[in-house]
Amino acid sequence: MCDDAMSANLLDPTVSDQAVRRAADSRDESVMLDLHPAMLARYKELAKLRYDYPLVLSRGDIGGEIVQSLSGIVDSLLQQIAPDGIEGERVRKHVLALEREIRALAMAGTNGSLSRLWELAQSNLLARTDGGGRAALEDSLTRARTVLALDGEVIDCNGETPAELLKHVWDTVESDKARRFRNRVDRIILGLSEILKVDFMKSEDARKPERLKHSVGTAYENAFDFEAMSQLLGASSRKDTLPRKRRQRIDGVLTTLKSQRFFAPTLADAKHTSGAKSHSFIFESCTRALAAFEQRLPEMVELVKAITIAELELENRYRESAHDSFFDLFDQNSLRPEDVALFPSYLICMRDDGFNASERTQLIETLSSGLPIKVLLQSDDILEDLPIARGKFSFGKRASQVATTAVGLHSAFVLQASSSHLYPMRKQVVRGLQYDGPALFSVYSGACASAVHIPPYLVAAAATESRAFPAFTYDPAAGPDLASRFSIDANPQAQLAWPAYRLDYEDQEHQRISEDLNFTFADFVACDKRYSGCFAKVPRDQWHENLIPLAGLPVADSDARTDKVPYIPMVDGDNALQKLAVDDGLIGAARRCAELWRSLQELGGINSSHAQRLLAQEKELWQQQMEREVAALKARAEPEVKAPNVEQAPSAPTETSLAQPEAAAEAPTDEPYIETPRCTTCDECTQINNRMFAYDDNKQAYIADPDAGTYRQLVEAAESCQVAIIHPGKPRNPNEPNLDELIKRAEPFR
Amino acid sequence: MSAPFPACVVRVDDEVHTLEGYQRGVPRWCTGCGDNAILAAVQRLCRDEQLAPERSVFVSGIGCSSRFPHYMNVYGFHGIHGRALPVAEGVKMARPDLHVFVSTGDGDCCSIGAAHWIHAIRYNMDITVVLHDNQVYGLTKMQVSPTSPQGLKTRTTPRGAHLEPLNPLTVTLGVSNVSFVAQAVDWIPELLHDIISLAFHHKGFSFVRVLQRCPEFMEGAFEPWVKDPSRTLLLVHKDGIELKPNLAKVYRNQEEHDPMNLHRAREIASSADPIPVGILYRNPDATRYEDVRKSERLYTADTTRAVLEKEFDKFTIWPAD
Ligand SMILES: Cc1ncc(C[n+]2csc(CCOP(=O)(O)OP(=O)(O)O)c2C)c(N)n1
Ligand code: SF4
Ligand code: SF4
Repeated sequence: MCDDAMSANLLDPTVSDQAVRRAADSRDESVMLDLHPAMLARYKELAKLRYDYPLVLSRGDIGGEIVQSLSGIVDSLLQQIAPDGIEGERVRKHVLALEREIRALAMAGTNGSLSRLWELAQSNLLARTDGGGRAALEDSLTRARTVLALDGEVIDCNGETPAELLKHVWDTVESDKARRFRNRVDRIILGLSEILKVDFMKSEDARKPERLKHSVGTAYENAFDFEAMSQLLGASSRKDTLPRKRRQRIDGVLTTLKSQRFFAPTLADAKHTSGAKSHSFIFESCTRALAAFEQRLPEMVELVKAITIAELELENRYRESAHDSFFDLFDQNSLRPEDVALFPSYLICMRDDGFNASERTQLIETLSSGLPIKVLLQSDDILEDLPIARGKFSFGKRASQVATTAVGLHSAFVLQASSSHLYPMRKQVVRGLQYDGPALFSVYSGACASAVHIPPYLVAAAATESRAFPAFTYDPAAGPDLASRFSIDANPQAQLAWPAYRLDYEDQEHQRISEDLNFTFADFVACDKRYSGCFAKVPRDQWHENLIPLAGLPVADSDARTDKVPYIPMVDGDNALQKLAVDDGLIGAARRCAELWRSLQELGGINSSHAQRLLAQEKELWQQQMEREVAALKARAEPEVKAPNVEQAPSAPTETSLAQPEAAAEAPTDEPYIETPRCTTCDECTQINNRMFAYDDNKQAYIADPDAGTYRQLVEAAESCQVAIIHPGKPRNPNEPNLDELIKRAEPFR
Repeated sequence: MSAPFPACVVRVDDEVHTLEGYQRGVPRWCTGCGDNAILAAVQRLCRDEQLAPERSVFVSGIGCSSRFPHYMNVYGFHGIHGRALPVAEGVKMARPDLHVFVSTGDGDCCSIGAAHWIHAIRYNMDITVVLHDNQVYGLTKMQVSPTSPQGLKTRTTPRGAHLEPLNPLTVTLGVSNVSFVAQAVDWIPELLHDIISLAFHHKGFSFVRVLQRCPEFMEGAFEPWVKDPSRTLLLVHKDGIELKPNLAKVYRNQEEHDPMNLHRAREIASSADPIPVGILYRNPDATRYEDVRKSERLYTADTTRAVLEKEFDKFTIWPAD
C-alpha cells in the first residue's frame, strides 16, 4: 500500500516518514478536500472567470462558426457597441456582468437557448440593481441584445457535454450533406419529369380540346376555338414518343428516388412520398449500427444505381446495349467510396464504463471497417483503473488505449481530447465528422464523481495539462505521411515533458515568492479524493532542499533510489501553500505517464529519437567534412602559382550554321490542285461540278477527281474562286475544244 | 458534389460525332457567301470538341446570317430581329449546362439590337457570339447598315451612306466588364476556326466580329484585303493566336499583342486598314452574371408558383368587412 511505497529514501527519514505514514494510515480524505493543486488555485471561483464555457451551439453553415464560446460572442458584441471612453466602459461593465450571470446559470444547470438564458440573466441582474443604476443597466443590455444576431443551445462543461457537442456538429455536417443530396436528387427528379412531360406533350391526350382550354386559362378562353386548335396541333405533332423500355426505366428510377429513406423527403418529391419513415442514424452500440448498415445496404445499392442511371439518362448517354447488362450486375461491390460518402454517417455515442473486451473488439472492428461510422467514446473517469493498491499501474487504459490503437488502423480519423479542449479543437471535430470513413472521438468529460470539489471543466483541463489525457488528432485525409496526419499541437506546451507555470505566493514573512513549477500527473491525481492516501503533507519546518518538485526527478530511471523527496504544491483553504510528498507508487505511475507522453511527442514530431540520431550522425559527418576541407585549404594556401587554365572557348555559331535551308519554292505543277486549308467553303466550285470538287473532313474543297469534268470547268472554278486557290494545271484531255483559250485563262492561276 | 460515373459506365459511351453529323439541310445562302465559311469553322469546332448535340444551342435573330441555327443539327432558336442576345441569356440562365452560341448580323446586333448588345457585354454570361458583319442588310436586299462604309449606295441611301460607320470592336471594348473581343475574316478559314475556338473556350461573353463577304450586294467590298495580305494585321501572342508557318509566310504584317492590354486593344480596334485579325482583348476574371446570381435553390413550377403567390399576397387588398 501507500505506506510501504513511501519509505526509506526521504530526506529526513524520521519526520517525513512519519508524516507520510500519518497521512496514509488515517486515510483522511478531508486532508485533500481542503486542498487544491496550486496551479488550479487561481481558478477556484470559476464562475467569475471568463473562459471558453459555456458554449453556444448555433445553427448555421458548416463552414461558419457553429460552436461558439459565450465570451467570444460577448467580445464581438462589445466591439460593436462599446467604444473606448466612459460611455463604452459602462456598457462593457454591464454586458460583462450579464455574461457572468449567464455563466453562473449554466453552471447551476439551467438549460435553454442563449436568448432564454439572456432573458433570465437580465431579469436577475435588474432585480438585484436598484434605482438609478437600473435604467443604465437596462439600456446597455438592450443595446447588446439588439446586435446579438445568433442563438443556440447553451451548454456548460459537464457529463453531457461531449455527446451534446458532437451531436450538434454531426447534425450540422449531415444537414449540409442532406442539402447537397436533395439538391442533386431534386434536379434529377425535375429533369426526368421534364423528359416525361415532353413525351406527354406529344401525345394525343395533351392535345385534347379540354386540356388546351385549361392551359390557356379563363381570361381568354372564349377567344379560341379549342376543337380547331386541337386538330391543327394534331396535324403538325411529332410522332416520335419515348421507347417503352426507356419510359419504364425512367419511371423505375423516379420511384426509387422518391421513396428513398436516407434523407427527409426532398422538395421535388415531397408530394409523392410513400409515408415511410426516414432511417435513423444515431446508435448506442457498434453492433446495432453495423447491423443497420448491413440491412440498409440493398437500399443504398438501389439508390446509387438509380442516381447513376438517372444522370446517364439526363445526359442522354444511356446505351441499352452496354448499360443494361452493367446495371443488371450492379450490387454492393459496385459501390465506390464516393457513392457511400453520399449517405449519412452513423453516430454512436457510448461511454467506456462497463466497456468490456468484446465491445472493445467490436469498436476496433467498426473503426477498421472503412464505413462512415462516427464513434464518441466518452470517459468520465480515467483514474478508476489506477490500481495503486495492487502495486500495478495502468491508468486511463480504457479510452486512451482504444484511441492510440485506432491511430494504428491508419484509415480511421481519431481525435482525443478532454471536454475542456473540445472548443479549441472544434475545427478538427468538424473534420472528423466530415471525413468519409470511420472516426473515433475519445473524450474525457472531467465529470468524475470522485473529484466533486473541483468543477468538471478544471478536472478535464487538468487531465490534459498533466498529460494524463493528452489531446491529439490523427487525420488520414490530411496527407500521406504522419507529419501531416498526426498532431499533438492542442496540448499546452507540447514541447515539454510537463507544462510549466509560475506560482506567485507570499511566504509566512509576507515575502513575495515566485516559483517555476510543472503540472504533473501527480498534480492531476491530487484532484481525486480516492487517491488522497498517496500524498502526505510535509510540515513547513521540514521544507528542506532535498524536498524537490516531482517534475525535477529524472524521468527514465524508475529504480534509481535518490535522496530526494518529490513533492507537489497545493493550496489550502486559507490560500496557504502546502507541499505534499508523493508516494512511490504514484511516482511510478507519473513516470509511465511521462513515457507515454514521450512516445506521443515522437509521433507528433517532437524530440523524435530517429531524427535526433540522424541529426547527430549528420553533424558528425559534416564536422569531418569541414575538417577535411579546412585541411585542404590550408594545404592549398602554400604559395604555388599556377598558370591559369585557359580552355578553348566554344566556338560561336557562324552565319552558315544558323542559316535555315530556304524552303524550296513550289514549282508549278501540271496537276490541278486546290490550296485546301485556305478554302472558305463558299460552294462556288462544288456548284460547278460536285464530282470534280468535293469537301474534305474540315469541309474544305479539294480536287476529288480531275477527270470527272472538263478543263473548262477547272478554269471556270479557278476564276470564280474568290480566294484564288484553285490551280487548273495543264489540260488532261488534248482533244477538248478551245484549249488554247482556256490555257491562256488558266495562266494567272499557275 | 456530382460523383462522376464509374469508369466502366463511361467507357461504353463512345459515340463519335463527325462534322457532317452537325450539318442539317442545305444552306440557302448565296454561292460565295462568307456565312458558309463561318458555318464550316463552327462545325469544325463542334467536331473537334465533340459537343453533344443535345447540349448545344444556337440562337439567332433575323437576317441571312440568322438562318445559321437551321443548318446546325443541334438545338436552335431562330428568334426575332435584334433579340438573339436576351433569348440566349435566358437559355444560359435556365440551363447553365448548355453550350450557347449566338449568330447575329450587323443589322441584327448593331442596329435594332444595339441596346441588348451593350448590356449583354456587361452581363458577361458564358456565351459565344459571332457577329457576321457584311456591312449591309442582306436578307431584305440591301439597305444601309450601321457598319456600311460611308458613301455606300443602297436602297435606303441612293446617294450613298451619310455617316462614318460604327465600329463594333471599339463599341464592345468600351463597355465595362467586357471580357473577350476578337476579329476574324471569313477568307482566312484557319484563323477563323482558331479564333472561334478560343472564343468558345473563354468563360464569359466572347464576341467575335467576322468580316463576312456578301457577293450578292457587296461584291468586291473586301477584295483589296483578300488580295493583299499586307493589309491584314495579324495579332499574335502566346495567350492569343499562334501562327502556323504557312500562314506566317503569307501574312507578314504581324504585331505581338497581349490580350490583357485593353488600352492597346482599343487602339488596334480603331484601325480599319490594315484590318486587325486575332484576339484583341481577353480577361478571364471579369464577373459573370450567371455566377453571381447562381442560386442553390431549385425552382420547380410548384415552388415558383408558391413564391409568386406569396409576393402577390402582399399587394392583395382585402375587401373591408
Ligand atoms: C422588327 C423587325 N424589323 C425589321 C425587320 C426586317 N429585317 C429583316 S432582316 C433585317 C436586317 C438584317 O440585316 P443583318 O442583321 O445585317 O443580317 P444579314 O441579312 O445581312 O445577314 C431587317 C431590317 C424584321 N424582320 N423585324
Ligand atoms: S471556290 Fe474556292 S473557296 Fe470556294 S469552295 Fe471552291 S475552293 Fe473553296
Ligand atoms: S445576300 Fe449576302 S449575306 Fe445574304 S446570303 Fe447572299 S451573300 Fe450571303
